[in-house]
Amino acid sequence: MSDNDTIPLHPSSQSDIDEIESLIFATPSATVLPARPPSPPRATIPISVPVSTSPTPPSPVPPSIPITIVPTAPVATASGTRVTIGSDGFGSPPNTLTEPVWDTVKRDLARIVSNLKLVVFPNPNREDPGKALRDWDLWGPFFFIVFLGLTLSWSASVKKSEVFAVAFAVLAAGAVILTLNVLLLGGHIIFFQSLSLLGYCLFPLDIGALICMLKDNVILKIVVVGVTLAWSSWAAYPFMSAAVNPRRKALALYPVFLMYISVGFLIIAID
Amino acid sequence: MEEDGYGTLPTSHLLGSVPAVISEEKKSSLGEGGASPSNLNVFPPSVGVYQAPGSGNPLDGNDQSGTDWKGFFSISSYSPFFNVDTDVVVDRLMSSFYPRSNFFSKIDANPDLYGPLWISTTLVFMLAAFGNTATYVMQIKSDPTKAWNFDVGYVNWAACVIYGYTILVPLAFYFLLQYFGSHPSLVRFWCMWGYSLFIFIPSSLLLIIPVEILRWIIVLLAGGASSWFVSSNFKYYVEGIDMAALVVSALLLQFALSIFIKVFFFA
Repeated sequence: MSDNDTIPLHPSSQSDIDEIESLIFATPSATVLPARPPSPPRATIPISVPVSTSPTPPSPVPPSIPITIVPTAPVATASGTRVTIGSDGFGSPPNTLTEPVWDTVKRDLARIVSNLKLVVFPNPNREDPGKALRDWDLWGPFFFIVFLGLTLSWSASVKKSEVFAVAFAVLAAGAVILTLNVLLLGGHIIFFQSLSLLGYCLFPLDIGALICMLKDNVILKIVVVGVTLAWSSWAAYPFMSAAVNPRRKALALYPVFLMYISVGFLIIAID
Repeated sequence: MEEDGYGTLPTSHLLGSVPAVISEEKKSSLGEGGASPSNLNVFPPSVGVYQAPGSGNPLDGNDQSGTDWKGFFSISSYSPFFNVDTDVVVDRLMSSFYPRSNFFSKIDANPDLYGPLWISTTLVFMLAAFGNTATYVMQIKSDPTKAWNFDVGYVNWAACVIYGYTILVPLAFYFLLQYFGSHPSLVRFWCMWGYSLFIFIPSSLLLIIPVEILRWIIVLLAGGASSWFVSSNFKYYVEGIDMAALVVSALLLQFALSIFIKVFFFA
């Protein structure tokens, strides 16, 4: 099996391989937890005859890498015991249905914060588009777009609802159209990941709009909007430019700047 | 198959998470005589064979062969119209300033819709932004005490007018020419009319200057250049037919657009 013409690794794959290898070689006999939590007990119909414990599923034949997989706990259902209905054994879904609402909200908030830190703030993983928003979600972008619309609407003195409508439509439709633009130019992005990223990059403009709403000085507004605009563009730049052919980079980036500049202008001009 | 580790499996180069960016080299196709490579995967092959009327690209009048039109809602059917690089787009933008530059021969092989789409979108935002700035400047000059408000209605008006003009006028000319027997290409019409709007972007920036006579001069110059561009390129397409009226109407429509921009946004 002399396969010499392998495709060279993508840079983001290398970081994942490094992760796995460090796990493997750090502690040779470390027990690695299974990828998902053990399945909850299966629902069974109670029967009167005592049932012997169901055989444990055979653990997979260990490869030569010295990992010992913790075997899933044997699911024993004694007779007469009613078991809570679970799913067919794939881990978390029943827990998220029955957990307290505060836990769900806390988890989503934590994910928003972590995505924000990855995208908007400087961190060593920025140049790696595969890692940037692997755990994308749309709650963050939704919240930021609505917040920006509300802030603009609040600071407007006339036609408040129209201002909100224009801001929301421009940002939401703009994110979709920008993603389609990259796809049409022959770029490679995942649709929702890109929507999510463009939404998170609105965070600096949100802060700018908030400051402009509180202080009504034109010079200050121009300075604040300029700074936050540059910050937003800096946040979105690596992702967008990596997604297309380098000869079309400007074609993919220009609409992003156009959208942020027009939102910035709205922030300055609305008073 | 060796058993001594994962590193030597035949798929070892695929380890790792799915990256967001895939850098694949496009495999060179064995296209002979202009056959699109995708046709080689389609059975029955549709190159050089009778193509049912509904299966071709509805936007391209003449070249039905080799287009892989997968329906209105598939992105890949619109990709051929965005097959341009940055330098190509910049070149087309610059040539829209010069009316005699034979724009149609430039775009004939590769009409793009990227230009019209983003030029019209940019123009919408520029008109809304600079129109409001112009009213602000005028108000500061005339009555500094009155409070000025940003009129969001400008965005709506600009979007309706510019998008409506860019989409409907070429469409109308396309159907008119088809009625008269010619075989125009709708994509090329959209492309040309879209690029003809580019000159209004820098002129709308200049229209902020509150001197009225200067504004009219700028509008007339920009409108004149744009109309001349449209009519000279449109004439190229109408050569077979003796329809001077069509060319004149295209010219007048473009001029009317520029007058409307001045009157509505920069009053």
